[in-house]
Amino acid sequence: MVYDEPVFKTLGDTAINVEFGDESSIPLNFRILALDLALREEAPTGLVETNPQVRTLGLVFDPLTTTCARIVAHVKALIAAQGAVATLPSRRVIIPALYDDPWSRECAEAFGVRNNIEYIAAFNGMTVAQVIETHTGCDYWVTGVGFVPGAFMSYAMEPAKRFGAPLYRTPRTWTHARLLNFGGTTSTIYPIRVPGGGQLFGRTPIEIFDPRELSPAFADGPVLARAGDRHRYESIDREEYDAIRAAVKAGTYEYRVEDGTFDCAGYLDWLVESGEPAEKRDPESTWGPA
Amino acid sequence: MPAGLEVLDGGLRTTVQDTGRRGGQALGIPPSGAQDGFALRIANLLVGNPPGGPLVVRADPGAAGLEITLGRLKLRALADHAVALTGADTGATVDGAPAPPAWSSFLLREGQTLACGLARQGARAYLAVHGGIDVPLYRGSRATHVNGGFGGLEGRPLEKGDRLPVGAASAAAVDLAGRRLRPDLVPRYAPPAEVRTVAGPEAHLFTAESVETFHGTLWKLNPKADRTGMRFIGPQLSFRPGRPRYLIEDAGQDPSNIVIDPGAPVGTVQVPSGVEPIVLGVDSPSIGGYARIAVVISTDMGRIGQIRPFEETRFVRVSHEEAVEILAQQEALLADPATIV
Repeated sequence: MVYDEPVFKTLGDTAINVEFGDESSIPLNFRILALDLALREEAPTGLVETNPQVRTLGLVFDPLTTTCARIVAHVKALIAAQGAVATLPSRRVIIPALYDDPWSRECAEAFGVRNNIEYIAAFNGMTVAQVIETHTGCDYWVTGVGFVPGAFMSYAMEPAKRFGAPLYRTPRTWTHARLLNFGGTTSTIYPIRVPGGGQLFGRTPIEIFDPRELSPAFADGPVLARAGDRHRYESIDREEYDAIRAAVKAGTYEYRVEDGTFDCAGYLDWLVESGEPAEKRDPESTWGPA
Repeated sequence: MPAGLEVLDGGLRTTVQDTGRRGGQALGIPPSGAQDGFALRIANLLVGNPPGGPLVVRADPGAAGLEITLGRLKLRALADHAVALTGADTGATVDGAPAPPAWSSFLLREGQTLACGLARQGARAYLAVHGGIDVPLYRGSRATHVNGGFGGLEGRPLEKGDRLPVGAASAAAVDLAGRRLRPDLVPRYAPPAEVRTVAGPEAHLFTAESVETFHGTLWKLNPKADRTGMRFIGPQLSFRPGRPRYLIEDAGQDPSNIVIDPGAPVGTVQVPSGVEPIVLGVDSPSIGGYARIAVVISTDMGRIGQIRPFEETRFVRVSHEEAVEILAQQEALLADPATIV
């Protein structure tokens, strides 16, 4: 559900979370990213950093130079002054990927489970070709960046094309770097070799996290994704994969990142026209914001 | 001979750490830095280095030292250096003879070997050297994040044969020897550990009995603990009924699954499936998807880092205001010249 008013929660002595709801939704994320932008433009004293995610804006503050109450009052005033979100800065990033790749298969074999892309297909009543067609068929909105360095969460922007598969019941102890995966309807990429429970279905030859910061795409830091990016996946074959990988390693690959602005208001209207409900409700639930 | 330290044995796991990196939350970059920031900052003060600010909230990372997990590090001095060991007691020796007591500074002469044994009390010892370990800054800090492969010495734990450069001295090493922490301030790591917590953002999703059980139990540290997370063995905790059905698709099947949410950035206590609460450490993910029953206060992340496998731990409740007061007291102590005698 979407809360009537954002709920402020202190996390220990140095952090506050501003929760807008308990569900995952792109419209909710627009409000969080707009608030994050407003806070960057008008940062209160003692605010150390912000961490926007799908339904929550995380704030880290220095309680020795300000108080929780002062930060909350500042954020409440910004929320009150905020109208509907019209536009947001949003880059478009093209991510080439080899679907149904040997590395995802190897991980599945190593942990004794079915090739994950076949499981994703079966779970959604699709063929493997349809999984690839659907995943490359619309933009994915990046709601937040985090977990391990460079990881991100993204969701299909066309509700009709939103699909996925449940996480493994027992996570793998390792996963190859750069594997595309689903955790529910969250689509993401493991930036580095990590444990994980996502259903694996492809591998990108480009870096999602690069502490060497080789390409201009990493001029602002070692992380490719930013909250508010639109990602579009492109299916490539093994030959193209190898060629791009070699260029990435040599530092000559040109990342396909385009600056832009996204028409959030137009998108929200389109969602309503498409019959997408404004929020999720369960009348039998007794869980609430606090 | 250039100043510095030569690693003869990296021990069980030793990394270069300062008080950490800030500004990485929105990129998935954890703060890293010393798990026990208090111990490293005192070690730095003992040898006349900038101690840096408290966990996460201050820009100044201070001088870099070594975090020695459970001991066994062996080093040789390549020049005369003022050094200090704090934190866990590893029964350190210099050329085979007992080293000066922990929480004091001493002169390690060129060619001398400093060797740590296995930690006897506490889990992490800290070594500071006057001038600081002079590895390059990465995003404002020298802290090592091993999983990400950056910071510290080539983003990895120390190995035999490594040479650690030491920054320029601003005082004669001999003048910095013989300083110690005011004796009544030396932390004791005898179990049970008392770790102070504030209620977590999802405490309301647990049954009231489970919240009482969480605070009333003597938990035992799971030996697989590391700087990413520390699990505690104890009773099963339960969630209130009435979970919205849409969360099955949005967050997952288990009642502990919540839609991804930012962390504290460290110290949140997640309870996946109600089993073995995990305290997220300084190398932890910047977001999480499990209900958090409590948050460890920033000053007590150090005490968490000194708990040994299977040692008993109690999670005590304090208010946000008390937590801020505890932090203010710690900072006043670190700023007080009488803290080092």
